Amino acid sequence: MPDIKVTPLGAGQDVGRSCILVSVGGKNIMLDCGMHMGYNDDRRFPDFSYITQNGRLTDFLDCVIISHFHLDHCGALPYMSEMVGYDGPIYMTHPTKAICPILLEDFRKITVDKKGETNFFTSQMIKDCMKKVVPLNLHQTVQVDDELEIKAYYAGHVLGAAMVLIKVGSESVVYTGDYNMTPDRHLGAAWIDKCRPDILISESTYATTIRDSKRCRERDFLKKVHETIERGGKVLIPVFALGRAQELCILLETFWERMNLKAPIYFSTGLTEKANHYYKLFITWTNQKIRKTFVQRNMFEFKHIKAFDRSYADNPGPMVVFATPGMLHAGQSLQIFKKWAGNEKNMVIMPGYCVQGTVGHKILNGQKKLEMEGRATLEVKLQVEYMSFSAHADAKGIMQLIRMAEPRNMLLVHGEAKKMEFLKDKIEQEFSISCYMPANGETTTVTTNPSVPVDISLNLLKREMALGGPLPDPKKPRTMHGTLIMKDSSLRLVSPEQALKELGLSEHQLRFTCRVHLQDPHSDSDTLSRIYSHLKSVLKGYAVQHLPDGTVMVESIVLKVSSSGEDPNLKVILLSWSYQDEELGSFLSSLLKKGLPSGL
Amino acid sequence: MESDCLSLLPSVCKVLANPKLLLPDDTSLEKLLDWFRESMSQSYGKHIIPHQPSLLQFLLSVTTSQEMDPTVFSFALKLTGLLASKEDSFNLLEEKGMLQYMFEPDNWHKLDLWKNASVRCGWLQGLWNMLQHQQAMDFFCKRDLVKLVLYLQNDKSLFIASLTNQVLAHFLNSTMLSNDFESVAQNSPASTDWASVTTKVMIHMAKSLASEEQAVVLSGLRQLAVVLTQCREPLKEMLWTHVLEPLELLANLHDGSLTQHIMAVLQVSARSPLFIKPECRVEALMEAMLCSRNANTSVQCAALILQLENCPETLERKATNVLLHPLLFVTSCSLQPHGPDYDSLFEEQLTQRISCVPLITQSLSSIADLVCKSPLDDIPVRLITLSVISLLRICLGHHSTTLQKAGTYSHLIGCCKVQRCSLDVLGSLAACKENADTVHEALAVLLLYLQCPDVHATVLKKTHQAILKWFSICSPSTDLWKTVHHDLFPLLKKHVCDGRWEVRDSTLEFIMQLTATLKGNSKYVEALHDCGMVSVLFTSLSDVEGYVRASAVAALGETLTTTDLQLSTSLQEEAVKHLLTILTEDTDSFPRRAVMKVFTSWLKSTLVFTALDHTLSSVLSLGSSDFDWEVKVHTLELADVLMDSLLNCCPYSIHTFQSSDRTGIKQALNELMVLGLFDLLLKCLFECDRPVSEKACALLLKLQTFMRETFSAGHSDLTLEISGCSWSEEMLQRCYKKQQGNESNCMKNGDQVPDLPKKVGLFELLELLDLEDMQYISSLSSDHVINSPQSIMEDILFAAQQSEENVVDCY
Repeated sequence: MPDIKVTPLGAGQDVGRSCILVSVGGKNIMLDCGMHMGYNDDRRFPDFSYITQNGRLTDFLDCVIISHFHLDHCGALPYMSEMVGYDGPIYMTHPTKAICPILLEDFRKITVDKKGETNFFTSQMIKDCMKKVVPLNLHQTVQVDDELEIKAYYAGHVLGAAMVLIKVGSESVVYTGDYNMTPDRHLGAAWIDKCRPDILISESTYATTIRDSKRCRERDFLKKVHETIERGGKVLIPVFALGRAQELCILLETFWERMNLKAPIYFSTGLTEKANHYYKLFITWTNQKIRKTFVQRNMFEFKHIKAFDRSYADNPGPMVVFATPGMLHAGQSLQIFKKWAGNEKNMVIMPGYCVQGTVGHKILNGQKKLEMEGRATLEVKLQVEYMSFSAHADAKGIMQLIRMAEPRNMLLVHGEAKKMEFLKDKIEQEFSISCYMPANGETTTVTTNPSVPVDISLNLLKREMALGGPLPDPKKPRTMHGTLIMKDSSLRLVSPEQALKELGLSEHQLRFTCRVHLQDPHSDSDTLSRIYSHLKSVLKGYAVQHLPDGTVMVESIVLKVSSSGEDPNLKVILLSWSYQDEELGSFLSSLLKKGLPSGL
Repeated sequence: MESDCLSLLPSVCKVLANPKLLLPDDTSLEKLLDWFRESMSQSYGKHIIPHQPSLLQFLLSVTTSQEMDPTVFSFALKLTGLLASKEDSFNLLEEKGMLQYMFEPDNWHKLDLWKNASVRCGWLQGLWNMLQHQQAMDFFCKRDLVKLVLYLQNDKSLFIASLTNQVLAHFLNSTMLSNDFESVAQNSPASTDWASVTTKVMIHMAKSLASEEQAVVLSGLRQLAVVLTQCREPLKEMLWTHVLEPLELLANLHDGSLTQHIMAVLQVSARSPLFIKPECRVEALMEAMLCSRNANTSVQCAALILQLENCPETLERKATNVLLHPLLFVTSCSLQPHGPDYDSLFEEQLTQRISCVPLITQSLSSIADLVCKSPLDDIPVRLITLSVISLLRICLGHHSTTLQKAGTYSHLIGCCKVQRCSLDVLGSLAACKENADTVHEALAVLLLYLQCPDVHATVLKKTHQAILKWFSICSPSTDLWKTVHHDLFPLLKKHVCDGRWEVRDSTLEFIMQLTATLKGNSKYVEALHDCGMVSVLFTSLSDVEGYVRASAVAALGETLTTTDLQLSTSLQEEAVKHLLTILTEDTDSFPRRAVMKVFTSWLKSTLVFTALDHTLSSVLSLGSSDFDWEVKVHTLELADVLMDSLLNCCPYSIHTFQSSDRTGIKQALNELMVLGLFDLLLKCLFECDRPVSEKACALLLKLQTFMRETFSAGHSDLTLEISGCSWSEEMLQRCYKKQQGNESNCMKNGDQVPDLPKKVGLFELLELLDLEDMQYISSLSSDHVINSPQSIMEDILFAAQQSEENVVDCY
């Protein structure tokens, strides 16, 4: 039986970095190629030697698909394509292709910042890698080769995020990447066809969470910012260049407008323009409200949010600053943090997750004294808040997607083992389908039952119709008889006559015969009549005929009686039948061997 | 070991032993193990357990806890192994019963822990860590742990199966460290255990190869390849004797899915003395694989055979024939007659797209390796080159009518995979001397690719790379320049306007590289200018895509170094004007970076760029206030060249001062000041992006050294205006801190700093800054993630104090 194999090299029972290998119908596909920011050695990238030891990824992989621009989904891409070596196609949506290099550049900067860092990609490599990317449009089926096709669906989560349906013949897999089933301020909700894939590979970051309303979190955020501003403090919001930052900007902009606030809001220099450029360019990927209002006013052109210059950090009075990077691990956000950390009136709001080892992670864990370069200690007196604005589907959302796509099997990735376990049980109970949650390196094999499409001749269909019965209905399969012709990789079901004609063959009748000896002290014709009566009573519903030529016929079976020359009471019954009545013929011979009943 | 870490260790152990506390993320535990590993390799490692009783307490608590998290349990297994890698600690752990508990999963309180992949992985990793000395080996043998290791060989996790191979290879290798197997076996009871375990492993491997389950055979082959790579003689030969028979059966099965794995085994054995021993029959096995009924197997095998260094001549010849066959067959070139069976074997696979593409690409990529490695004695390179050219034509649907079979391979038309691979090979073939007279054919087909309207962008890029390689071997001839003038440049002009940015960018990159390769050639330069390529480059400076604008900048920069600039001042001026506009207005950082690089290269060149000299002050000012850290770094590189050229420290220098010529030096310094170079350096010194501040610091140190060598204190007479400068605040803070004599390391907000004078002497300023200290501090920490063991331990402790976990998210 054919099967589909799924092996996570990353995202198997963790949220570190996504890289999942899928083998379907003889095609090998890599889903996402992320990096782990928590490491700065070889462990940050997936170990591609598990795919092929000779380093020729191009020979092994048929394509790579990237779901969205977050680094834990695309950060290892230039390493894989330019340093390990992969020349094949890489698929991602248009916005992802545009934004991906910005984030990769951003991260490269942080990494080359580190001394002695050599095993890392260059700007040129990022560009060369992006040249291998084939952009995808939503709902457009792209033929990777003769057999493999892919189709992208809207996933919400971040601008350009996509779920993807992979199809080889009748086998199919859906990979969700990260997705969000509820619309937010700038993006819509994920959606997919009822495509009934063999496996749905879904993220499960919030596998056990039913998240509180986003409105509540937004209100909380605005309240905290407002309070700090009111008491004359400064608010630092460390963000990554694109994504959550824009959502929070819209939120603050609207709030400032409504409350008529005067405190300045700044955004790291150079980023606002770029972000706005992409949101304008890909306006069709945002939510309905933004698309509608775009004609009157572009929501990404902010009135209150201005470009930041580092000298502003020392300005007196309240202000809000969005600065990169998001984990307070380098650059401008860290510099501002160092300046503001000592004042308890100030506040830092971390709107995203921080990996271990970053200043962001430390302060979220409550550290109040940080050792900086040169053994200087930084006292953290400002308020620290963590407010998750991430746009992942919660448990309810994941169940909703299953209902949408109706998969035959479910496979959970990008989540924590314990939480996955809980969701797995819930899915199996509610949908009665198998749910898998392989660890990294573990291969899940799912056997498929592919349907093979066959062309049917019109004559055969007409004949079937002539027999009566309901009209053909794809939901109610029924048996059909015919001759299957397999020729030049096409399959056709035709009537036997047509098959003979097409193939230039003549028909041969194959008949089976057997003799049964029977003691019956009657004449041959009487014995035949007795046999007729016996069969007539036993085989109700069958066509049993006594023919004038001295034979009895049951369906295609012919029976004749003759006497043995030596013993007139010993009758020899000759049975002959065609192969279609093989079963009936065998039954009759064994029936007659038992003799005729005396009462006849 | 750092004392800070050791003082934190007991608390960390307590936290990890408490299943009720929040766990740190798994990267913390991995990094903690890194620290233990490093510590164990130092002399202190031996005594760590007696000196750190908390470690033992932690491990003991793991053995008794009913609620242990699999992640912590896995960590404990790895840690136990690490600690037991030293004999003293091993004895102590064994006395306490720790080793028996940890490495015999039947003893575990929670048996279902074994179901967790991370625990199985931890068990193997711990075992591997431990197997560093004889006592550990004895423990391994006596407890029959090999049984479980062999069981894990077929684990459903790739990582675990692979780790198993490493552990077994390590064990087998360790048994052979000092003695040969026979003598070890006779020495002591412990050695007998070793011998019996080793034999058990060998028998198991042979059994795996003979298994009916393909997955078991595959893992057996993988294991064999790893073990053969790592183990020594005579074990290698003994192992080979065990596995030869099943291996021969597998080789003759001709199962395509096993080919690569069998070949990996054969390749390893061929690199060992097994290869020259006739009884080991390695060569015969290779030949069996080579003559497979599956063309793909044969070609894969041939490719691997040809990678061998001391391959027997006959085998090499056969392999070469097999390897070349798909290419020669498809292109109707004949090397030597093959039997009809042989042809039909390939024909069947080559006429079907699904098998043809991998077969051809496998053949092609190995040909490139083969040709580059060593010249082929009896195979004419020209024939191969012509075949590749024919194949490239077939892929475009441009095959000649003499190619009878070309129509059969219509599935190759437009096949990017084969096109890319063929272009790579054609490029490599340019390096062969024998190809000197194939240049025209090669260039003709490459031009055909440039002409073709629907060629994929990645294919075009490969075409460019191949053309560059062929051009670099061409002897300059009139015909060649005609081709460039009449065929190549018009096509490039067209591609620079292509709808795909990838094509426009690759084309501009190609123009840049071609110009760099051929700029010494006057005919080329003539063609470049006559064809209007320069104006095309100017147009591309306003491309919509940042990447393309950057490539246009680089290409223009390179092109202008080919001209006699005395004659084209207007061109220079126009270029500088455009580039300055980009530096000022471009929202993308790539073009701005490219502009800075071009300016730097112009300054380094021997040509005179008067137009640039006039605008240097603006260039430095724009570069210093750029948003992009890399533009700033490039500006500093330009500043470096400028300093060198004016202060006579390097080959680009345009001034030549005698060391006593202080007036000249003062003038040069003054000139640098007027240009705003010192302002740039000081501004960048306080940048938050480390590469910028580091580079600025290095340049200021260089300047300081120069000043110290040239002037005594206070004699430079060069003063800088500092009030109103963006960097003055930071500098003030720094000077104040220094004046305080580092009384306190603690940075406090709101500390008042005294005013500095509006002007300060350059010499004094450099001394005041204490640049050496700045450089030292900047070298202390530069990771984006703070990875000091102390920081990791602190993070673990603080995470445990949290009442609720921060929601994990992506980034």
